[in-house]
Amino acid sequence: MSRARPGAAQVGDVLSRHREEERRDALRALLMCPLMTAAHPDFGAVRRHAQELRDWFSQSAGWILHVEHDCARLYKRPADLGDATRGAPDFDRRRYILFCLACAALERSDPQITLRALGERLLALAADPELAVRGFSFLLESHHERRELVAICRYLLSLGVLQRVAGDEDAFVSHAGDALYDVQRRVLAGLMASSRGASTWPADSAPATLDARLAALTEEFVPDSDEGRRTAMRHHLARRLLDDPVLYFDELDGDPAMRAYFTNQRGALAARLCDATGLAPEQRAEGLALVDEAGELTDVAMPATGTASHVTLLVAEFLAGAERAAPGAAVTEDAIQEFIREAVQEYGRYWNKAARLPGAEQELARNALARLASLRLVRREGDAVRALPALARFSLGSTDIVARKSPANHTAPAAQTDLF
Amino acid sequence: MIDPAHPATSLFRHVATDKAAHYRAIMETFAAAKRQFRLQLRPDEVQIEARWPGATPSLDDIQMALTQLADWGNLEVQPDTARVSSIEDFYRARYLYRLSLGGEAVEAALLTFAQTLARQSELQTVALEDILTDLNALIALAAAPAPDAAKVHTVLRDLVRVFERLADEAQAFMAGVARAIELQQAEVQAVIAFKQRLIDYLQRFVGDLVARSGIIAARIVELDAVIESLLMLAAGRERRDSAPGANEAAALEARLVTWRERWRGLSRWFISEGHIPAQSELLRARVRSAIPQLLAAVAALNERRSGRSDRSADFRIMARWFADARDDDEAHRLWRAGFALNPARHFSLQSEAVARHEQLPASTPWADAPAVPIHPRLREQGEVTPRGAPPHVRDRDAERAMLAAHIAEERAQIDAARATLANGRPTRLSELEKLDAHAFRLFLALLGEALVAQRDPDQAVECHSADGLLRIRLEPLADGSRASIRTALGVFSGRDHLLTVTPAGDRP
Repeated sequence: MSRARPGAAQVGDVLSRHREEERRDALRALLMCPLMTAAHPDFGAVRRHAQELRDWFSQSAGWILHVEHDCARLYKRPADLGDATRGAPDFDRRRYILFCLACAALERSDPQITLRALGERLLALAADPELAVRGFSFLLESHHERRELVAICRYLLSLGVLQRVAGDEDAFVSHAGDALYDVQRRVLAGLMASSRGASTWPADSAPATLDARLAALTEEFVPDSDEGRRTAMRHHLARRLLDDPVLYFDELDGDPAMRAYFTNQRGALAARLCDATGLAPEQRAEGLALVDEAGELTDVAMPATGTASHVTLLVAEFLAGAERAAPGAAVTEDAIQEFIREAVQEYGRYWNKAARLPGAEQELARNALARLASLRLVRREGDAVRALPALARFSLGSTDIVARKSPANHTAPAAQTDLF
Repeated sequence: MIDPAHPATSLFRHVATDKAAHYRAIMETFAAAKRQFRLQLRPDEVQIEARWPGATPSLDDIQMALTQLADWGNLEVQPDTARVSSIEDFYRARYLYRLSLGGEAVEAALLTFAQTLARQSELQTVALEDILTDLNALIALAAAPAPDAAKVHTVLRDLVRVFERLADEAQAFMAGVARAIELQQAEVQAVIAFKQRLIDYLQRFVGDLVARSGIIAARIVELDAVIESLLMLAAGRERRDSAPGANEAAALEARLVTWRERWRGLSRWFISEGHIPAQSELLRARVRSAIPQLLAAVAALNERRSGRSDRSADFRIMARWFADARDDDEAHRLWRAGFALNPARHFSLQSEAVARHEQLPASTPWADAPAVPIHPRLREQGEVTPRGAPPHVRDRDAERAMLAAHIAEERAQIDAARATLANGRPTRLSELEKLDAHAFRLFLALLGEALVAQRDPDQAVECHSADGLLRIRLEPLADGSRASIRTALGVFSGRDHLLTVTPAGDRP
């Protein structure tokens, strides 16, 4: 009564396919979460494929991957140093300073620390006269400052640098309690991704301007040979393609050699990157984007549900229309606010209450433009914006009125490409 | 005696003030003078003799400090009636100072305190050796027909003294180890060297403890039988030292109890009693567990120092660089360059043409390529799930009825199967007519239970089914007979048996 067993060759095929899929998942997970602790669901896969992933990242992008038994770190050295939309969530200049000071305190701390003790260390470090000269002060007196400290701690918790043992942060804000944490040294050691420690420059030769500092933090050795330069260019392009939504030819104007290399090699480059990551290349006359069909590989989703996302989509459409009507013209922020005010008539009933209030259009417009800029669909120029080529992806024109009533399945995005 | 005007606590006050160093210098001068049998000092003598921590203070300052110390009760004051040689000296309040009783006690206490702190808590392996020697001596003494009370007493006293020192030092040592583990912030090289020494030491001691505690325990066991008489001798000898006139029997009993306690303490140290492990075992375990702890601390220090630069300093410099940023945008750029923790960011959705694997020429501008298909409801309402009234609560009676019917049907089938099998007649397996699937499942279950109960393939077996409703009797037929049963599930075959299934409660 035995069923026909599949041949050994078939089993081998299935297994190797499974391995490849697992490796692809691990690779994608690392792109989304470059500092991964054992708590991450894909951590096991990363460990299993550590060697292949290490080789692939270093060969394709020149990125270093460290895999330890309890955490993995992909040092995603950025290629584009001008992008101001890739900061830590909800961080401003003050929080970055506090974050660095908190890490400095944790480096010197015991394996366990409480929120209050961390606050005290932070106070001592924040008293650095060098910081006072730059107009930074932190006294941990006001509610607001306590909340800042808690925000830093929450971010460290989300990174896995701290693990909560007891207590909670909210109680600390209201002076009613405290929280106890374990400090994960190995994760803490993996935070900095610069090629050289900032304290290793003597005071007189340390980089002083922002651009010099950015260059210094990401400096790499490039062998002085044709091969070495070619590899450096390939890595630069791969880094932009893997980490950024789109790469336009015009962005490479300052570097003719790079532009020529990109023009000639982009097909091969895209194919190699897409094969390993499961992204799909979108090659156009103006540049190249690697698209994730399922929309998992991004921190800014578009389109997405919710009022803000809806407004963003409508604004994108509006700008794409304006671009078609008058190519290359800038659109002022006022015009966009005006458009949103009008859109309230038609779409307001689907939005949340706050968005329908008069004056809300300013915040909505700002938010929409920030999202579009972070996806490199528009470029800000003072208080105007200019459409970038990829914005045309979202030029829908008018939808069928019928589509509103029918259970819109016939126009739903095609199902995922087959997984097996 | 302490003067009631100066409660004992104020005597220690000078140790904790701002000028503690000065006060201590003064008090040490007095203590030194006392050792030289000079009972009193004048302020100018103090000024000359004291070893001041910094510059020598003026006479006025010393005078103030002395007055203060006298206030706290550490010193006693007397008017000075010696001749003077200048007018100012005459008008200055002149006093002689000497240590008060309380002040002396404080000096003695502080000396003990300093010595205790400075004591290198050592585990003396010599103590173990001494204990062993004493025990051997005791055994030798006990073997004599009439033990010499003086010798026994001396040896016992010595034993107790050595043992107490061993216990004290073991305790001090464990506390020291606990402190050493906290040495996280010290200079790394020093810590590592210190710990290396400590670990060597621990290992040596542990080895010695293992080697000797066995012999010591054996000697203690050996002595246990005769120890009572020896303790009696010692107690008797001690009683003679005690004040005469006291109740002699009670005094003897008290001494004996004390000695018994000491002996028990000693044997408890080396011999486990019941489930309570011996002290030496505990000490060994704690020493052993301290070693990996120390190693971990060293490793953590090492780990902290690894890397090309001091990361804590890196973070502090980065904080300054962030502070230098002119606005949040610059800070964000610096963050990405320095930390690279940002997730990847990509477009989602492809145009349908791509999804159908139709390649557009790479020279197509974005404006001429088809737009991505966005879910219409998302485009119109910013939603994917339709709005509307919540779904009605559904009436599930029909489904329940269907389930009930289904269960009833299953039960009927099982009952029918029981009826088929449990007929009370002995049946040969080979003669069983074709069973339906339910009956066969039941039959298999029964057969399984019967076969489990069967010890020997040639013996009959009788047992109850697991649900207690049926009784099964299985008699094997001749070896080599075969039975095969056809069922809807396949053909079942095996040695032929005579099977009798009866409903429980019926007698066949």
